[in-house]
Amino acid sequence: MINRRQMLSAGAATMVAAGAAAQTRFRDLPEAASTDSPMTQVPPRPSVGVDYNPVVTLNGWSLPFRMNGNVKEFHLVAEPVERIMATGMIARLWGYNGQSTGPTIEAVEGERVRIYVTNRLPEHTSVHWHGLILPSGMDGVGGLSHPAIPPGKTYVYEFDLTKSGTFMYHPHADEMVQMAMGMMGLFIVHPRDPAFMPVDRDFAFLLAAYDIDPGTYIPRVAEMTDFNMWTWNSRIFPDIDPLAVSKGDRVRVRCGNLTMTNHPIHMHGYDFQVTCTDGGWVPESARWPEVSIDIPVGAMRAYEFDAVHEGDWAIHCHKSHHTMNAMGHDLPTFIGTDKRKLTGMIRERQPGYMPMGTAGMADMGMMSMELPDNTVPMMTGWGPYGPLEMGGMFSVVKVRAGLAADDYSDPGWYQNPPGTQAWEWTGELPDHASNDSPETRLTPRPTRDNG
Amino acid sequence: MKPILLTLGTALLLSACDQALIRQGSAPRPGFALVQDSTRHATGQDSVWHLSAAELDANAARVSALVNGKTIGPDRAVQVALMNNRALQAAYAELGLSGAELWGTALGSIPTLNLSVTNLGEEGFARTLEATLTTSLLELATLKPRKRMAEMDFRQAQLEATGATLALAYETRRAWIEVVGAFEAAALIGAAQGTADAGSELAAELGRTGAMNRADQAREHVFTAELAGERAQRKLEAQLAKERLIRLMGLWGSDINVNVPDRLPDLPHGVTARPDIERLALTHRIDLAAGRLELERIASDYRLTQATRMLSDIEIMAGAEMEREDGANGLSPVVDIEFRIPVYDTGNLNRRRGEMTYMRAANTLAQEAVNARSEARSAYAAVTGSYRVARHWQTEVLPLRREIDAEALRSYNGMLTSTFELLSDARDGLEAELSAAEAKRDYWLAEADVSAVIWGSVGGSQ
Repeated sequence: MINRRQMLSAGAATMVAAGAAAQTRFRDLPEAASTDSPMTQVPPRPSVGVDYNPVVTLNGWSLPFRMNGNVKEFHLVAEPVERIMATGMIARLWGYNGQSTGPTIEAVEGERVRIYVTNRLPEHTSVHWHGLILPSGMDGVGGLSHPAIPPGKTYVYEFDLTKSGTFMYHPHADEMVQMAMGMMGLFIVHPRDPAFMPVDRDFAFLLAAYDIDPGTYIPRVAEMTDFNMWTWNSRIFPDIDPLAVSKGDRVRVRCGNLTMTNHPIHMHGYDFQVTCTDGGWVPESARWPEVSIDIPVGAMRAYEFDAVHEGDWAIHCHKSHHTMNAMGHDLPTFIGTDKRKLTGMIRERQPGYMPMGTAGMADMGMMSMELPDNTVPMMTGWGPYGPLEMGGMFSVVKVRAGLAADDYSDPGWYQNPPGTQAWEWTGELPDHASNDSPETRLTPRPTRDNG
Repeated sequence: MKPILLTLGTALLLSACDQALIRQGSAPRPGFALVQDSTRHATGQDSVWHLSAAELDANAARVSALVNGKTIGPDRAVQVALMNNRALQAAYAELGLSGAELWGTALGSIPTLNLSVTNLGEEGFARTLEATLTTSLLELATLKPRKRMAEMDFRQAQLEATGATLALAYETRRAWIEVVGAFEAAALIGAAQGTADAGSELAAELGRTGAMNRADQAREHVFTAELAGERAQRKLEAQLAKERLIRLMGLWGSDINVNVPDRLPDLPHGVTARPDIERLALTHRIDLAAGRLELERIASDYRLTQATRMLSDIEIMAGAEMEREDGANGLSPVVDIEFRIPVYDTGNLNRRRGEMTYMRAANTLAQEAVNARSEARSAYAAVTGSYRVARHWQTEVLPLRREIDAEALRSYNGMLTSTFELLSDARDGLEAELSAAEAKRDYWLAEADVSAVIWGSVGGSQ
């Protein structure tokens, strides 16, 4: 868990930082905060420095800092971690300060940051500050910007935050392996002017893909395309926290993509506008409405909307395989296959055999059969009306009236008002149109009633 | 002149020892007690020697009761073979013949004394009594060693009969193991074929729905078809192995309606330690016993030649005439004792032959003894080694295979792998079970071989 006392003490210490007596103390490294919890930890508003509205990192946390004079100091520790991707599945990854993805670094435009990076990995690393404008020697490309940080060593990055926006950090030394192992984090720079594009709720997450075979714990780092864990902040459905929103809130969702493919992130119930990329804020005149926003590889997008529609709204990557957990891709299609005889034959040898897939794969979402260790079903999750049959990059935006400003807890399932939910028709069915021809057929204009 | 022939009764010449030999040789089943004892000791089963039609009939009824419609274990198979194998009865008849030889030798040839009475004069007495022992005096002189040799021949025949019995028991036991092992293997192939059939069935269904092309369907079907061929081959092997067992058990007619279990017994918890297996082999092996007997016979031969040489050196040609001079009882017998010494001429040559014959047999026996000890060690190594191999399959490979099967099911449950992979793993598992069954069969065969090296005379199966 994030240590709130530590944050408070860091804040308190900063309070006395003005005193000369404290100067020597601050020659030491800031304490490296750490957490072992994969749950969303809502950061407190800053008690020192410039005020800002912290982002809520889904299933993540923000890195505590201390003020050292006018410099904001952070301490990142690159180290092996165990990430609970979902109940029943642990991934042995590399990350920062106890978690993958790493903690979100938050600061304010115009601030100077000093970031200590301690390397507890078995090989060298570096940190690249993706999208930030900074001196060449601070860019974190091992061998190009500076020597890579050897194991056991601590390097210091220090630069001014010249612009606000949505950024991220990740290694740029043995980058393929270290990113495949989960090393990445968000870097949010808030505008100095609190009146600039304020929002009530500001969510953030990173898209990361892993190839962890069912029954194993560690990603196959050499994989390029055939990933099976499609994660938000190294977390998969059904254990990605929902985005709890109070009705009427202005909401921003920030999303960065460090996988090997693009992800069309689709949110139900709303249209929205992209307001920010990792290049900066999008002028209002350049925005257009969307319901899906494609996040390119190695890019970030932030979109905003006014939460006017109450309800439970799915939010997910629109590549349907990305809303599945680990599954086989070499399966024959069993739809329509009569397995009655087969079942008896196979049970001679495998008494536990269950025929599946003959009507589709939804039976997978219903059954809870024994699976290999350390994996979650390919499709899973239950809603108020049945199985959701989802996995991977899927969560729910829960818009409710009257949520307290700092309340991000799960408000439960939405109760649809009477008459606003699909219902079963039990009466006579009218004839339905049908067509067995593959030819183009022109639809006749409707005959207008001119009366 | 009228010869008077007096015949001396043979009984006069028979010692108590001879009478024992005669009793032995003339018994209804001469020397069979030893065969029975050895057989019981070596196999735990009884050997039976049928002498009459009635006995054979009774035996047929007993055999029928033991096998007809029954599922028999290895002990019963051996027991029936010992009761019912006619070649074994023929071997026992050989023993009977040898007994008859012993009997005959113990009786000896009938010695005859011819007395020629001449000059029957007016006094009423024969003046000269000329008597001739017409029987070969050499025969008399060598009777004792020849009896000993007949006795040794008889002992040799006993060993041969025992050897034939044990060889039959051994071959029958091996045949039983092989036939049951063959059925077990055939059944496992059958189970593997079940999984192939399932794959074929699924392929056909997928072909029907349009999810599998003809080539992939054919691949599943051809696998099934090939496996069916292999299964038929295994069944044939099992059938032929069973016929061999039936032959050894001497069964025919309705008695071939005999069954064996579907699978060999499980491995025992351990292999009996046999630290003294070399000693047991040296003590018990029938072939070594036969070698020792051979040596004894040669030694005896050697002594026989010495004795003969001594006699021949002397070159006895003795005659005696008793003349009755001036007396009423004057007797002038002519006793011609003629020793015919057929071959043995010079003493040195005979001694050399005897020594060399002895040395040849002694060296051969010594090498056989060395071989026997090595074979005993080999058999022990084979039984412990094959046990470890079979145990390894049971305790290491098969549990891993079961784990793979369990994981395959879990993986299938998670829709990570398809039914075909599930079936493929199941078939691999059966393949391993087949190997494990073969390793188990090899262990039981090695176990049977252990008793063969302890008792010898295994009829070339080694």
